[in-house]
Amino acid sequence: MKKSLFIFLFGLMSSFTALAQETIVKGSVKDAVTDEAIPDVTISIEGTTLKEQTDGFGEFLFKTEVHFGEQMLKISKSGFLSKRYPIVVNEGQTLNIQDMSLEVDRGSQSDLFTVTLSDDELNDDTGGSDNISGLLSSSKDVFQRTAAFEFSSSFFRVRGLDSDNGTVLMNGIEMNKFDTGRPQWSNWGGLNDVVRNQEFTQGLKPSTYNFGGVLGSTNIITRASSYREGGRVTYSSSNRSYTNRLMASYASGLMEDGWAYTIMAGRRWGDEGYQDATLYDSNSFFASIEKKINEKHSINFTSIYAPNRRGKSSANTQEVYDLKGIKYNEYWGYLDGEKKNSRIKEVEEPILMLNHFWDISSKTKLNTNIGYQFGKIGNSRLDYPGGANPSPAYYQDLPSYSLGDPDGPDYAGAYKAQEEFINNGQIDWDRIFDANLTNNISGNYAAYSLYEDRTDDKQWTFNSILTTEINDNIILNGSINYKTLRSENFAEIIDLLGSTNGVLNVDSFSSNPFDENNPNAVAFEGDKFRYNYNLYANELAGYAQAQFKYSKIDFYLAGSVTKTDYQREGLYRNGNQTTDENGVEINNSFGKGDKIEFTGFGGKAGFTYKLSGKHLFDVNAGYITQAPNLRNTYTNSRESHDYVGVINGKKSNDVHITEEKISSLDVSYIFRSPIVNAKLTGFYTKIEDANEVSFFFTQGSSTGFIQEVLAGANKKHIGAELGIEAQVTPTIKLKGAASVGQYTYDNNPSLYITSTSDDFIQSDDAGNQTNLSGTELRTANLKDYKVAGGPQRAYSVGFEYRDPDYWWFGATANFFTNTYVDVSPLARSEEFYLDADGIPYNDYDESIARDLLKQEKFDDYMVVNLVGGKSWKVGDKFVGFFASVGNLLDKKYKTGGFEQGRTADYRALKDDVNNPKRTFGSKYWYGRGTNYFVNVYLRF
Amino acid sequence: MKTNKFLTLILSFVAVIAITSCVEDDDFTVPSSLGNEENAALATLLETSTEVDMTFVQGLYTSGTAPEQITADIYVKGYVSSSDATGNFYKEFYMQDAPSNPTKALKLIVNQSDSYNQFNLGREVFINLKGLYVGEERVGNGVYTIGGAIETDQFGTTVEQLDENQVKTKILRSGVTADMIPLSKTFSTINASNVGMLVSVDNVEFADNLAGKAYFDPNETYDTLRTMQACEGLAYATFQLETSSFASFKQEPLPVKNGTIVAVVTKTFDGSQVIMALNSTDDVNFTDARCTLLDISEFSEVLSEDFQDAVDGTDLDLPGWANFAEAGSRVWREEAYQGNGYAEFGSFNSQDASNIAWLVSPSVDMDAQNNVFVNFKAAQHHLDSNDNTLEVFVSTDFDGTNVLAATWEQLSVNVPTTSNSWYQFVDSGLVDISEYTGTLYVAFKVTGSGTDLDLDGSYQVDDFKILAN
Repeated sequence: MKKSLFIFLFGLMSSFTALAQETIVKGSVKDAVTDEAIPDVTISIEGTTLKEQTDGFGEFLFKTEVHFGEQMLKISKSGFLSKRYPIVVNEGQTLNIQDMSLEVDRGSQSDLFTVTLSDDELNDDTGGSDNISGLLSSSKDVFQRTAAFEFSSSFFRVRGLDSDNGTVLMNGIEMNKFDTGRPQWSNWGGLNDVVRNQEFTQGLKPSTYNFGGVLGSTNIITRASSYREGGRVTYSSSNRSYTNRLMASYASGLMEDGWAYTIMAGRRWGDEGYQDATLYDSNSFFASIEKKINEKHSINFTSIYAPNRRGKSSANTQEVYDLKGIKYNEYWGYLDGEKKNSRIKEVEEPILMLNHFWDISSKTKLNTNIGYQFGKIGNSRLDYPGGANPSPAYYQDLPSYSLGDPDGPDYAGAYKAQEEFINNGQIDWDRIFDANLTNNISGNYAAYSLYEDRTDDKQWTFNSILTTEINDNIILNGSINYKTLRSENFAEIIDLLGSTNGVLNVDSFSSNPFDENNPNAVAFEGDKFRYNYNLYANELAGYAQAQFKYSKIDFYLAGSVTKTDYQREGLYRNGNQTTDENGVEINNSFGKGDKIEFTGFGGKAGFTYKLSGKHLFDVNAGYITQAPNLRNTYTNSRESHDYVGVINGKKSNDVHITEEKISSLDVSYIFRSPIVNAKLTGFYTKIEDANEVSFFFTQGSSTGFIQEVLAGANKKHIGAELGIEAQVTPTIKLKGAASVGQYTYDNNPSLYITSTSDDFIQSDDAGNQTNLSGTELRTANLKDYKVAGGPQRAYSVGFEYRDPDYWWFGATANFFTNTYVDVSPLARSEEFYLDADGIPYNDYDESIARDLLKQEKFDDYMVVNLVGGKSWKVGDKFVGFFASVGNLLDKKYKTGGFEQGRTADYRALKDDVNNPKRTFGSKYWYGRGTNYFVNVYLRF
Repeated sequence: MKTNKFLTLILSFVAVIAITSCVEDDDFTVPSSLGNEENAALATLLETSTEVDMTFVQGLYTSGTAPEQITADIYVKGYVSSSDATGNFYKEFYMQDAPSNPTKALKLIVNQSDSYNQFNLGREVFINLKGLYVGEERVGNGVYTIGGAIETDQFGTTVEQLDENQVKTKILRSGVTADMIPLSKTFSTINASNVGMLVSVDNVEFADNLAGKAYFDPNETYDTLRTMQACEGLAYATFQLETSSFASFKQEPLPVKNGTIVAVVTKTFDGSQVIMALNSTDDVNFTDARCTLLDISEFSEVLSEDFQDAVDGTDLDLPGWANFAEAGSRVWREEAYQGNGYAEFGSFNSQDASNIAWLVSPSVDMDAQNNVFVNFKAAQHHLDSNDNTLEVFVSTDFDGTNVLAATWEQLSVNVPTTSNSWYQFVDSGLVDISEYTGTLYVAFKVTGSGTDLDLDGSYQVDDFKILAN
C-alpha cells in the first residue's frame, strides 16, 4: 500500500503535460482491487465549491476552471474509503490524473461503532442521559469521531449539550420528535447497511437541508440509486445489548430502465444484555425504490419498519449496587423458571417517505418530500392499586431503612433485610399472581396488573428544499417545512396477571376516579385506563441561507422562522383535577386546553479564513429561539391542561412560557499537513429560558407525588475541544482528542411544584377543596451548579494500525473527569429550609445545609478499548471480520446519577444523610464492565 | 440472476431466524407451580405438628406480662376475620376460631401491607406457632397477639411483627375460603372477649350530630372515632367506630339512615376501649328510617318508693318489701339524713365473716304493661373494694318470702363504685325490663364482710321506680 501510494504520486507528476492555454484538471478513478472503473465518485477541490462526478468510465473533467496553485483534491464515494491528494495546478496546463484508486471500505470503525451505539439506544429515557453518537458517527472530524466512538459509552455530551440540539434528517425530513426534541434512533435500528449514507454538518456550519441546531445536523440518504449495487450479510454477537444480530441487504444500483431498489432485513435478539434481564427483540425491514423518470426528475419511495422490544434496567442507589453488583436490575423476577422483565420498551413506528428530486437546471435543484410516521411507543410497568409495591429494591425493604429506624439502628432487621435482598431481591411474580387469584376468590379487583404507557403518534411532514448556485462563489439554500402531529397518550392494560375482576379505574392514592365521566369503569386487558389524552403539534418553518466561497475566505449567512403550536385534548375527566369553587365545579382535565403558540427565529453566520492550505481559521456564531419541546411544556399532561406558567388551571402572574433562546459562538484553528491534521476549538453556548419538568414523590414538611417545574433556567457551556491525528507511517496513525468544558447553571430560575396529594389540598367545612400547590413561587438557587450529563472533561489517546494485508487494529485509552450528579432543584429552593408554616426550621444550620447541598462529583476513571479486524477477497466477494473489546480493564465507573427528590427538605435530608446508610441516596448508572462485540460479514 | 437466487436464499434464512429465535415472549399465564410450595409446607406441618385451639394459645399468656415464646411443635387454625383491602387495617389481621359462632380470636401482626390479597377474608390459615410469640402489642391492652419477635422499651416487652420470611413459612393457607357468618350482637353485649371477631349489629345508626360528617375527621392525625347508636328503649346504646386516616373510604360521608353494620371488634390503640372497625363500607347497610327512642313523658310510675317514710336507724320493714339476710345477721336498714330517707346496708362492725343481704321490692304485673323500665339511685360510703358489691336482680318466680328458692337474673345497671365520692347518689339509668312477663320482683343484693376491713363498706338506695306505658 505504501509502495503503491508512491508509485501513484510519481505517476501523478509524470502526467503533467503542456497542451493548450486552457487550464484543465481531469482524470479517472478505479477500484484499487478489481481495477474496474468506478462511476459516480465525487471529486472535489477542498475549500471550493468545485465538485464533479466520474462518469460510467470512471472519468471526470472539471468544467469550470480550477484556481492555480496548491490545492487539495478529494475523491470520495459512499462505501469506499475517501482519499485526499495534494495537487499543483499550473496556468494553461492540463493536469491529467489517471487511475486514482479507491479502496472499498470493508468494515471501518465507523461501521462497527455506529452499529453498536445506535443499537444501544443510550438516549433512552431510562438512561437518564442521552447520546449523540448516532449524530456524530458520520463526521470526518477527529474530535467528533472520538466523541462518537470512544466517549459515548460514558454518556459524554459534546459541549455538554443535549442531543436535541442536533437535528437528524432522513432524505431532508426531520426525525427529531416533538416530544423530546431528540430523534428516536430505534426507528431505523438494525438497518446499518442502508442508513450509512449520511451527510453530517457540524455545529452551526451551513447544511443544505435545514437551519439545524447548534450541534449540527445529519442527513441520512436512502435513495435507492445511491447504494452501490450488491449485497451484504452480517452476523454479530455481543454481550452489550443484544446477543445476536443477523442482517442482509441488497441494492440493485441504478438499472438501465431507470429503476433502482434497495432492500434490507435484520434481526437483533438476546435474552439479556450487559444488565440482567435486559432482553432485546428487534426486527428491521427496509425497502427503497426509485424511478429515474428522466434526466430532470426522479422519485423515490422509502419504507422502514423496525419494531423493537427491549427490557429496561433500573438506576440504583449505591447501597443496592454494593449488595448486588453493577449488573443488577430490579425490574425482573423469575416466572415459571424464566427471567421476566416487567419493564419493556416497545417501539413500533414505521416510516413512509416519498421524495421527489428535480434538477431544474444544472445549477438549481428542488427536492420535495412527504413523510408519514405512525405507530406506537409503549413502556410497560406494573401497577399495584391493591398490592404492596412490587419493587424488590423498595426502600422499606433495604437494610438502610432498618438502620435508619428513628428509634435507633435496628441491626437485626437490617441483617434480615440484607439476607432477603441478596438471596431474593427480584420481583416475586408468584406472589403477584397469588394476590390476584386470592382477590378473585373474594371478588376484589386485581391487586396487580401489567400495563403499558403508550404514545401513539401520527406525524405528517411536507417540505421542499431548494438549492441553487448563483455562480461559482455563491450558493443559496432555502426550504419550507410543515409538520403536524397527533399524539395519542394513554395507559393500556397488557395483562391482568391472573385476575378475572379487572382494575377499577380509580386513583388508589386519592380514591378519585381517573375519569369522572365513567367513575366506576373497570378495565380489562386491552382497555385504556389511568389517563387518556391527545396532544396536537404543528410546526411551520422556513429557512434561507447563502454560502459564499472564495479562495481565501468562505462565509455564510442563514436565517429561519418557525411557528409552533401545541394543544392538549383530555379524553378523561380526571377526578384529581376537579375543584369546587363557590359551588361551581371546575375541571382542568377534560376537553381541549389552550392553544400554546411560539414563534422562533434563528440567525447564524460564520466564515472560514484560509491563511494557507495548512492554516485555517473558522468562526461561527448563531442565535436561535425555539419552542420548548412538548415534554418541557406540559407540566402534568396525564392529568391536566397545565403547562409552564399555568398552575392548576390558572395563569400565573410570575411565570410565563416562552421560547428557549440559544446563543452560540465557536472559534477554531485548523492545521492540515500531509501527516498531521489538527483542530482546536473554543466554544461558548448559552441557553436561556429553558424549562425542566420532572415528577417524583417527596416527603418532608409536605408529602406527596409532585410535579416540579423549573422555569426560565439559563445555562452556560464554555470550553475547548482538540482533535489531532498523525499518520506517522503509512500504516500507523496516532490519534488524540480532548474536551475540557465547564457547563453550569447561569441563573437562579423560578421553581414551583404542583400536586394533588392530600398535603396540598385544603378542605373547608363546607366541603370545598382548594389546591394550595403552586401558590408559592420559589427560586432554585442553582447558579454555578454543574449541569449534569456525562463527564465535562474527556481525553483520549490511541493509535490505529492498518496492515497492507487488510487487517488492522487499534487501541485507545480514554480518561474522564468532572462528572456530576444531577441535583434536585427543589432542595435548592425555599422548600428546603421553610417548614410547612412558611417559617425556617428552628434547627436550620447554614453550614450543615451547605454540606448537604454540595453537588456530588464522581470519581475520575479510565476506559481502554480495543478494536481490530480483517477482510479477505474470495472470488468476487469479500469476507470480513472485526471485533472490539470495550473497557478492557473492567473499570467500574459511574456514568451519571440523580439526587432523589424524596428528601428535599433540610430535616429529612439531614436525617437521611446522618443515617448509617442513606435510604434515599442518589441513584446511579454504572458503565459496562468488560464487554465485547464481534462481527463477520460477507459482501457481494 | 445468480445474485437474486443468492439473495432469496439469504432473505429466507433471515426470515427463518427471525421467526424461530424467539426472545422472552409476552406469556403471562398463571405459573403452573403456583402454590405447590405452600401446599407442601402445610402438609408437612399437619403431619409433624400438633393442633391446638385458640383457648390454648390465649392460655399461654397473661395480659400485662412479657410475651411468651412458643417452643413446642404446635399450630393453630383460624379464619381470617379482617381485611386491609381498604387500608383501615395496617400490617395486621385478625382470625377467629370458626367461620360462624366463633368463641375466640387472635391478632397477627405482620410486616406486610395489603395482606388481604394473601390472607383474604374467610381464608382458612394455619399458624405454625413454633418460634413465634404470643403477647401484646402494647403492655396491658388485653389483645392476644401473635408476633414474630419481641422488643423491650421503657413501657415493657411487646411482640413485634412477623418478618417477610416468617409470613412465608409460618402462616400457611389451605385452599378453603369460608363464608364468614358475622356473630350477631347488640352494642351492650359486645365486650373484650369479642376482640378480633367479625360481628353484626342491627338497628344501628350514627349519632345525630354526625350528619354530613365523613368517616374520618380531617382534623385528626391517625384515627377517628365516630359514635354509633342503637335505640334501646328510652336511651341509646352507643359504640365507637374507628376509622384510620389511611382508609380509602375515609372521605365518604357517614350514612344517615339506620340498619345493619358488620365490622371487626377491636380495641383502641391503648387498649382502653372496645370499639369496632370496618373492613369495608360495603358492610354498612343503613337503609331503614332512623329509630326513635321511647318518650319518658308517656310513661307512668307503676311502682315507686322514695323512702321518705324511713325511720332513721331501724331495720327496714316497709310494706311490700322483703328484707332478708342470706349470710350473717345484718339486714337492710331505714335511714334518713337531712330530711332525705333511703335504704342502706353496710357490714361494718357486723362481726360476721360474711354478709349477704337482700332487699326485694313489691311485685309488678308485667303483663299489664308494654315497656317497663326500672330506675333508682344508689350511693356508697367507705367502699374499698370492687368485691364489696351491690347487685340488682329480677325474678318472676319469687313467692314473696323465700328469696333463695327463686330464680334471679342479674340486671346490668349503673351502680356506684370505689371511684365515686361517698354519699354521692348515682343514677342507675333506665334499665329495660320489658322482656319479662308475669309477676316481677326487683332485688338489691349487697355482699360484704364485718371482719374483712376491705369489705365493710355501705350502699344506699333511694328513689326506686318502675315506669311503664
